[in-house]
Amino acid sequence: MESKNKHFKVLTLAGCLLASMASASVFASQLVIMQNEPPRSMDPGNQTATFTGTVLDPMYEGLTRLGDDGKIIPALALSWTSDDSGLNWTFTLRPNVKFHDGTPFNADAVVENFQRHLNTQRGLAGSGKIRTFIQDVKKKDDLTVTFQLKKINPAFLTVLASGPGLMVSPKADKAGSINNKADGTGPYKLVQYKSGEYVLEQKNPDYWGKSSGPDEIKWTWSSEPSVMNMALQSGQVDIINPVPPQFAGMLKNNANVNLKQSPGAAVFWVDLNTQSKALSDVRVRQALNFATDQQALVKAIMFGYAQPANSALAPVDPNYDKSLHDYPYDLQKAKDLLKAAGYADGFPMSIAVQAPDARTAQVLQGMWSKIGVKLNVRQMESGVWTKAAFADGKEKAAQGTDAVLASWSSGLYGSDLQLRPLYHTSSFAPGGANLGFFSDKQTDDLIDTAASTLDDAKRKDLYFQAQKQISGLAPQVLLFYQDDLYAARKNISGVVMQPGGQIVVRDAVKQ
Amino acid sequence: MKAYVAKKVLSLPLIIFGVSIIVFIAIRALPGDPARLMAGPEAPQEAVDSMRVRLGLDQPLPLQYVKFAAEALHGNLGLSLQSQRPVMTEISERLPYTLSLAALAYLLAIAIGVPAGMTGAIYRQRIPDQIVMVLTIAGASIANFWLALLAMNYFAVELGWLPLLGADSWKNYIMPTVTLAILPMAMIARMTRSSMLDVLSQDYIRTAKAKGLSSASINWKHALRNALIPIVTIVALNFGSLIGGAVVTESVFNWPGIGRLLVDSVRYRDYPVIQGVTLVAVTGVVLMNLVGEILIGLLNPKIRFD
Repeated sequence: MESKNKHFKVLTLAGCLLASMASASVFASQLVIMQNEPPRSMDPGNQTATFTGTVLDPMYEGLTRLGDDGKIIPALALSWTSDDSGLNWTFTLRPNVKFHDGTPFNADAVVENFQRHLNTQRGLAGSGKIRTFIQDVKKKDDLTVTFQLKKINPAFLTVLASGPGLMVSPKADKAGSINNKADGTGPYKLVQYKSGEYVLEQKNPDYWGKSSGPDEIKWTWSSEPSVMNMALQSGQVDIINPVPPQFAGMLKNNANVNLKQSPGAAVFWVDLNTQSKALSDVRVRQALNFATDQQALVKAIMFGYAQPANSALAPVDPNYDKSLHDYPYDLQKAKDLLKAAGYADGFPMSIAVQAPDARTAQVLQGMWSKIGVKLNVRQMESGVWTKAAFADGKEKAAQGTDAVLASWSSGLYGSDLQLRPLYHTSSFAPGGANLGFFSDKQTDDLIDTAASTLDDAKRKDLYFQAQKQISGLAPQVLLFYQDDLYAARKNISGVVMQPGGQIVVRDAVKQ
Repeated sequence: MKAYVAKKVLSLPLIIFGVSIIVFIAIRALPGDPARLMAGPEAPQEAVDSMRVRLGLDQPLPLQYVKFAAEALHGNLGLSLQSQRPVMTEISERLPYTLSLAALAYLLAIAIGVPAGMTGAIYRQRIPDQIVMVLTIAGASIANFWLALLAMNYFAVELGWLPLLGADSWKNYIMPTVTLAILPMAMIARMTRSSMLDVLSQDYIRTAKAKGLSSASINWKHALRNALIPIVTIVALNFGSLIGGAVVTESVFNWPGIGRLLVDSVRYRDYPVIQGVTLVAVTGVVLMNLVGEILIGLLNPKIRFD
């Protein structure tokens, strides 16, 4: 009897301990987020992945920041001005800011941050966004820097707010530790990055601004969509991003979960190789567009969590032309066009797809078989696909690649970064993402002129013309714009979603 | 016996050298360009090129291998392209998780598989045997990621008894261990059963029975000991497939072992990490086979190695 009592006491003691541990973890509020891939780097300038940007956002800041309403607001710069040419900019920096390692933030730090991208020897993954339009960055005094641009970029202030525009500690960059140990000025600092497990961030007590977020943010990841779904349903994680569309319906009906949906920036399309024999005829390319039932595709593949695509630009783009409607689903028209092009009985073609998009290609295979097109779906692992998709014309001909299923999201960087890499003659693969070698003088001119036009209304008009021009020549079959989806437990609020799928959790509240 | 062991141990470096060449070439034969993957699809060609130079991938293959081998001899497997950390660090951080999982799974597989196989043999053609046979066929043919997802959905989501992911507490071990143990458990049970059946029909067993020994003594002492040799062989030789199973299991359960490291590094074509993990895994398998062969010698002095 006595020994039994003793056990009982030990058990109660253990129970108390457990209970106190549990309550301690409630007081130190921790937000747990699961995404679908691991972060590529702790250096915001050495990666270009949306879901890495999400992890890094609480720890880093740029000169500017994207406000919750999508407008640019001051961050590490207090104010800025530009001259009439739009090529020379002056930024006044925020005083008394320190990086997490204690290094002061000043004009020298800004200059070093941009020099590392302008330096072609460094080969940082994010440098392209900076190098294409920034000529030089100079210190004027300790809290003033000037930027000289090669060409006008309407997205300049947005570029400064993310990725390679984010300020890293020059000391950490020189030491070479920045890839593993994040070091910025943001409201959170890195506690631990365990590469196979998680990234743990803790509130920065020395932060210059206000932050209402949780004490700790923990990021985990899984490439299994069903695991993400279960992690949220079981309450082991507070937020999952992005939500796999096949589970969106289930999560929407879960009383403990909020599903958040916003129009996405990612355009999904089939890039047609304009150097392939049949596809070099514009009528054939148009026929494929007419034979594509976008509504059915959205329903079957995206479970309704997408919008049919009518333009090369996404609806979140300020220059998106809503009125464009060149290709309603019309099998007869498709057949007539094929007949006129000399392919009355159709023709065979191949498409390179990544494993997750294989079903989309199979649905297209069924749709296009109605006009006699025999689509040979070549499913590839992502690394193999990248190689096939970015192959040059000769290699594509040798491999017999007639089409590539791809998606592209320029996020917040504007129309130029959506149209130029995909449709400009200078962007032929492998150097750019013009995967089908589409070349049209008028399109090139429109893209170039628009990029150097300062006036918003005029620029919009030029982009409308460009969208119309591209749509008419159909270098692609547009499929859909994927909605951005994230889901959070009901007790989470204050999460902001930016166009492009990046969620901002630095001010999230967990009740 | 000693000479045999010495010979085996001396041949190890040669095997590992051969394997390292195969691994090195096979990885580079994979389509996919790590420089392009790391620079990102929207990176200009010049960025991809400078990335390639930085990664040393512009060098001729033999030179890349010589550099790699020279460094590897000093215990340096290079830097991960992705994390920029030494591959040795990445692996040594992850290896304990994989080894503990694999060891637990093996213990579980043996603890259940051997008695189950013995039960099948002793009750041959009767109900217990049929149950064992059905279960082992199911266990050997079930896809372990599917089983893992089912278990997760039931025990972590529906019932909330077990944590779903990670490796924070002992509870985290339960589902991955069981999932990983199923296949070797089934194989061990089947091997034990057939091996026991062979032994049970031998004359000395009849003699033992005639002497009036208890059936427990006959089964455990006389039969099992003699039946063990093929079981040990199967356990040792299947270490490789256990590592293969760990790759899948770790990915599903977010288990921070080398299996998940391998999957992540293949996705990003992180050559040094793929090389390192493969080399370590192959070395482990070769060592396990050696241990198995030595154990067999100890268990049965009749076996000659020369």
